[in-house]
Amino acid sequence: MKKLITTVLMLMVTMQLFAQDQTSAITDTLAGSEKIYVVAVCAAVILLGLIFFLFSIDGRLKKLEKKS
Amino acid sequence: MQLIKEVKYLIGKEMLLEWRSKYALNGVVLYVVSTVFVCFLSFVSLKGVTWNALFWIIMLFASINAVSKSFLQESKGRQLYIYTIASPLALIISKTIYNIFLMLLLTLIALGFYTLVFDYVPEDMGLYLVATILGSLSFSTIFTMISAIASKAGNGGMLMAILSFPVIIPVITVLIKLSKNAIDGLDRSVSLDEIGILLIINVLVAVFTLMLFPYLWRD
Amino acid sequence: MYKSWWKILGAVLVVYSTVFGFLSSVPALPILHQSIRNLYFHVPMWFSMIVLFSVSVYHSIKYLSNNNEEHDMKAVQSVNAGVLFGVLGIITGAIWAKFTWGQAWSFDVKQNFAAIALLLYFAYLVLRNAIDEEQKRAKIAAIYNIFAFPMMVVLLFVLPRLSDSLHPGNGGNPGFNAYDLDSHMRMVFYPACLGWILIGYWIYTLLFRVSSLEKNKTA
Repeated sequence: MKKLITTVLMLMVTMQLFAQDQTSAITDTLAGSEKIYVVAVCAAVILLGLIFFLFSIDGRLKKLEKKS
Repeated sequence: MQLIKEVKYLIGKEMLLEWRSKYALNGVVLYVVSTVFVCFLSFVSLKGVTWNALFWIIMLFASINAVSKSFLQESKGRQLYIYTIASPLALIISKTIYNIFLMLLLTLIALGFYTLVFDYVPEDMGLYLVATILGSLSFSTIFTMISAIASKAGNGGMLMAILSFPVIIPVITVLIKLSKNAIDGLDRSVSLDEIGILLIINVLVAVFTLMLFPYLWRD
Repeated sequence: MYKSWWKILGAVLVVYSTVFGFLSSVPALPILHQSIRNLYFHVPMWFSMIVLFSVSVYHSIKYLSNNNEEHDMKAVQSVNAGVLFGVLGIITGAIWAKFTWGQAWSFDVKQNFAAIALLLYFAYLVLRNAIDEEQKRAKIAAIYNIFAFPMMVVLLFVLPRLSDSLHPGNGGNPGFNAYDLDSHMRMVFYPACLGWILIGYWIYTLLFRVSSLEKNKTA
């Protein structure tokens, strides 16, 4: 559980890094810690993709509900 | 045997139509020649890799224009007429063979003019010729089927380009590699892989075309 | 399609592979370091994309043989789901490439060809939008889908083996099997692939069910 929480925290840390738009800083930090953050960002991208899919299905179902 | 007879008849008909109007051939040859000339005016001198890439780009657009005529320009009435006299297999085989001849003629004219204008000859001209022949073969087989699909979809040139580019890109990459080997004058045994791949792609495309076209043709 | 055991299996496998993807031990590698763990996230995307596209071709063939509209809808929806996974694969690949090869788009053959394969399916979707008449659209799209599939196979499996690539297993780079996919990584990698394929199939069935509901409502 603890490790899970740390993973989530790591994700949030990377999000904050995106907030300051200094590409060199991101590159340095993301590549730090033996590049584990790269994996975290990729996993986040996949999750975002799945959430995007959920939203699109949601919208289509909404339309269906309105019609019925 | 019926099939061979029909194919022969259809090719003859196609040639006759072409001979009467001379529109497709003249138009496309003029297109190629003027494109080459425009390239010459803008580049003045070209060598090696760029020369090769430019040649294939010119050929790509010329062949899309030349081959897409085969189905897109046929009128509804003529299509119905062909439908009654010939089987779909005979039709697609005859169109493909006719397009292969057309493309061979076109590429050879283009290559001749291109080498003449830029005054540059690849190290291994024999292999380069093999590459252009294989290129015109694969262009015509692929584009014939795609133009049939595009004409059935009823939305001409635009769709033709969108549908054909992703399919033709693998062929172009192999062709450029093969012809680059010819330009560098590498030993011919190096290029056997590419020639094999091109032949395999052609066989694949031919098989799938023959299987799928009857479904496309009947309405 | 309506049973839930395989959905639970897929979910369990994906959760397992995500947790152990971060926690399990990996061999120490130069340049890659810990980012080798991306193997559990990036590669399964491609596997599920290919499985979904194969499902789509299967249904296209079915459609041509029995003209059942349901098969057409299945073919489109599996292409939609496959495109989702392909885009995710490209994005994760670009991020990974940025930090190991130095550039997000490193002109690697596999990267380029994966992008072209996606273009092929975008062309398929555009083709569907271009035709209004439903039966005609289903037929032509099925034909293009079957015609394009062997090209995608050539693009993704044959051509990359011919040229140098930064991906492992091509052009002199040793494959993962050679040294880094040790037994620990296999224990996570194979379940990850299976899990993501199942999730992809699940997404496809959801898309199919929603769109068939939509169709019933409008009809």
